Amino acid sequence: MTSTPTRSAGLPPTGPDVPAVSAARTPGALGRRAAAALSFRNIGAVYVWLLIAVLFSVWAPDTFPTVTTVKQVLNGNAVAGLVALSVVLPLAARVFDLSVAFTMSLTSVLTAYFLVHTGLGPGTAIALAMTAALLIGVINAIVVVVLRVDSFIATLATGALIQSLITMVTDDSSITGVRLLAKPFANIAQLDAGGITLPVLYLLLAATAIWFLLEHTATGRRLYATGFNANAARLQGVRTDRLRFLTLVASALLSGVAGVVFVSSVGSGSPTAGTPYLLSAYAAAFVGATQLRAGRFNAWGTVIAVLLLGTGITGLGLATSAQWAASLFTGSVLIVALVLTGGRIALPAVLRRRKSPRHGVRPLADGSVTVPDEEV
Amino acid sequence: MDGVTVHADTSTETSQGPEGSVRAERPVLRVAGLSKRFGGTQALEDVDLDIAPGEIHALMGPNGSGKSTLIKILAGYHHAEPGAVAELDGEPFDLGQVTDSRHDRLRFVHQELGLVNELSATDNLALSRGFARTALGNIRWPEMERRTTALVERFGLGIDVRRPLSTATPVQRAVVAIAAALQGWEGRRGVLVLDEPTAVLPPGEVARLFDIVREVRDAGAGILYVSHRMDEIFALADRVTVIRGGRRIATHRVTELTPRSLAELMAGQEMETTHRTRLPVSSDEAVLEVRDLWAGPLRGIDFSLARGERLGITGLVGSGHEVVPYAVCGAYTGPVRGRMRLPERSERWVAAKDAGGSGIPLVPADRAGEGVIGDFSVGENLTLPLLDRLRARAGRLHRRRESSLAEEWIQRVGVRTAGRGARITTLSGGNQQKVVMARCLAQQPPVLVLCEPTAGVDIATRLQLYDLIERQADDGMGVMVSSSDTEDLLALCTRVLVVRDGRIVREISGGDITEPALIHAMEGIV
Repeated sequence: MTSTPTRSAGLPPTGPDVPAVSAARTPGALGRRAAAALSFRNIGAVYVWLLIAVLFSVWAPDTFPTVTTVKQVLNGNAVAGLVALSVVLPLAARVFDLSVAFTMSLTSVLTAYFLVHTGLGPGTAIALAMTAALLIGVINAIVVVVLRVDSFIATLATGALIQSLITMVTDDSSITGVRLLAKPFANIAQLDAGGITLPVLYLLLAATAIWFLLEHTATGRRLYATGFNANAARLQGVRTDRLRFLTLVASALLSGVAGVVFVSSVGSGSPTAGTPYLLSAYAAAFVGATQLRAGRFNAWGTVIAVLLLGTGITGLGLATSAQWAASLFTGSVLIVALVLTGGRIALPAVLRRRKSPRHGVRPLADGSVTVPDEEV
Repeated sequence: MDGVTVHADTSTETSQGPEGSVRAERPVLRVAGLSKRFGGTQALEDVDLDIAPGEIHALMGPNGSGKSTLIKILAGYHHAEPGAVAELDGEPFDLGQVTDSRHDRLRFVHQELGLVNELSATDNLALSRGFARTALGNIRWPEMERRTTALVERFGLGIDVRRPLSTATPVQRAVVAIAAALQGWEGRRGVLVLDEPTAVLPPGEVARLFDIVREVRDAGAGILYVSHRMDEIFALADRVTVIRGGRRIATHRVTELTPRSLAELMAGQEMETTHRTRLPVSSDEAVLEVRDLWAGPLRGIDFSLARGERLGITGLVGSGHEVVPYAVCGAYTGPVRGRMRLPERSERWVAAKDAGGSGIPLVPADRAGEGVIGDFSVGENLTLPLLDRLRARAGRLHRRRESSLAEEWIQRVGVRTAGRGARITTLSGGNQQKVVMARCLAQQPPVLVLCEPTAGVDIATRLQLYDLIERQADDGMGVMVSSSDTEDLLALCTRVLVVRDGRIVREISGGDITEPALIHAMEGIV
């Protein structure tokens, strides 16, 4: 195209004012980057996690600092991690999917139902259950994206519909059967290598996939753009509706997988399997959004948060016999995380390692920057 | 400031002595030695200001000059640094405290008006002054409505005080905001502060607001009128104080100033914004042709844009000129009819509703809402529409190519930033606008389409943007600018189409583009 602007000479009208911006790969820069990567601001949850581990090691020295605990935390939180990851993609595009817990319950009871009551093979049973999850995703997406109902309330509503479907299938009681405990199906969640079961691998795979998508592809960048400012993104040619549609389908599928894994690991299809996972999934996603890529919902931050929550709950279980401790812990962590992502309070100055170069610009915990009322 | 050559003496004079016969009266508001720091930034430094009763005193300055900080200190939102003196009608008051007497004498209408549009005028007025109640505590609606009606009728405003303000026109809302600010104020010696009140008004209604402001002045109040529009200052104000970089540059009677000298005070250097060479376009080779375009208020408009041309499209708000860029870029959300073609690419006409497929990028009017993604870095904002080009294997984003592309454009358009990784909201409005423009230019479009390109941009950066736009045209691109700011059109365009009631009513080109010609055509004066 001849009309391409080619005259680069003389283009920067403010020559000396334009600072050199090349990220020099000097040792100093590397050191700064390493320091930034390890700062409390970036991976605060890891430090909190370590602190919790030390605390429980002192509190319950016989039971907590053991290999068994490590296995228990990893194996016991893989499903929770999958559910948490399932909400990361919609949240990145600022869509809430509150139906994930119900989708998870549904695939777990459907898989159990097909295996126990219809005599279908495990492959077919799983395929049918996942088809149901796909359908739910599409329905959610149609309600939210095409019919333009606010996602928060829309997925709450579809969640209620799914729950009624679950009750239809189960008559409100768990589906159990010997086929759920038998070899080929039970292996999905119970096969292990050195005490670490397969769901941990699924979690790692899912996290890697979401990390790659969000961090390293154009689609991921467009998802974040959609979440941050859909109007601007649309004007730049981002197909925001399509992306939101797809995130809802993806979240339904991933939570569906979590349901299948769940039924394989516990050996029964429970109509309320997913319910306890909803709060912890959002807690993890929001805590995760304060980590690594501050202000952005991201995969590894979420995984760290799941492990933090899981370690705390496991430790409380070992150190005390108080039943109420687990919910207390999850609730407290969620509130702290929401306060941080909401940007209402900044971290104490001591914890803010990276000083912002601009004067008067206060970096908040979620990475957003507020200019304190300078000039409008 | 050395830039202020001609008026340096007068400014010292006016700041020292009382201004002759008119201003001998005791000022109704006086502040002196006002300073404010935010962290390392000196937002205000030793600013003096006095407002006489019965005068409209304009406060002017480019973006970032400290205007808003000054207003916020007066409103008690920020605290000034110790040492400042403040007097209301001769009585000193503490800038660190909001007292009743201060609230009684100083009233504010903020830029966004501070109204709740879902509520009625009555409710809005009651929000600041409370409701009249019976002994039981229920609201005495008839009395409230009578009171409100009396207040707004003073300004010749006939609105239903019971209907939500969202159904009112912008000027009606502005009047309600002024009425709300003036409640219980009758006959007092005080100051009404208006912070860019015309920002939310269509140009046709500005005159009515001015009448109301004059009326308030004539009742004896002092008015502090904050604006960055020079035409308003000359139309309305008695005196003007210019601040820049947190310092008071000068205070003058408006009659002593010319638009040019005021612009110099604002910019701090000899500025030439309006007189540029407007060579007739040498080529009449069209790069964009639009026929019979209907969209929103548009009623079938035709135009062509030639290579190297800088075509302005203007009109009053609501005339439809602001829709043209959106329709041409396929970004208009309503139904669009008509056809268009890009002759350089293809001789075929395409339906205007499929304009999105032509891939003409748009520099939108609302920078924060539609232009930039505030949570993204400068680099991410720049490359957002270019991501398809940066694809490596397996759909992976080529990070190195991405950063070099961002660096290249930051250099090319001269964005002032701490780096491509800096969050875009840390940049000034003008620099954000450069990023938005760079993003469009990087797509190598056949035409550059801009909407209100200098809204909220200070004068110095404005000139840089003009240069940048002009260079694109000189390099052979067709540039289309939709703007309601005549300054943009005068500085930038080789030809201007004036839209009125959805139709192109006038075409002005070359040396005939003058402010009166534009305004006459916009207002429909023959």
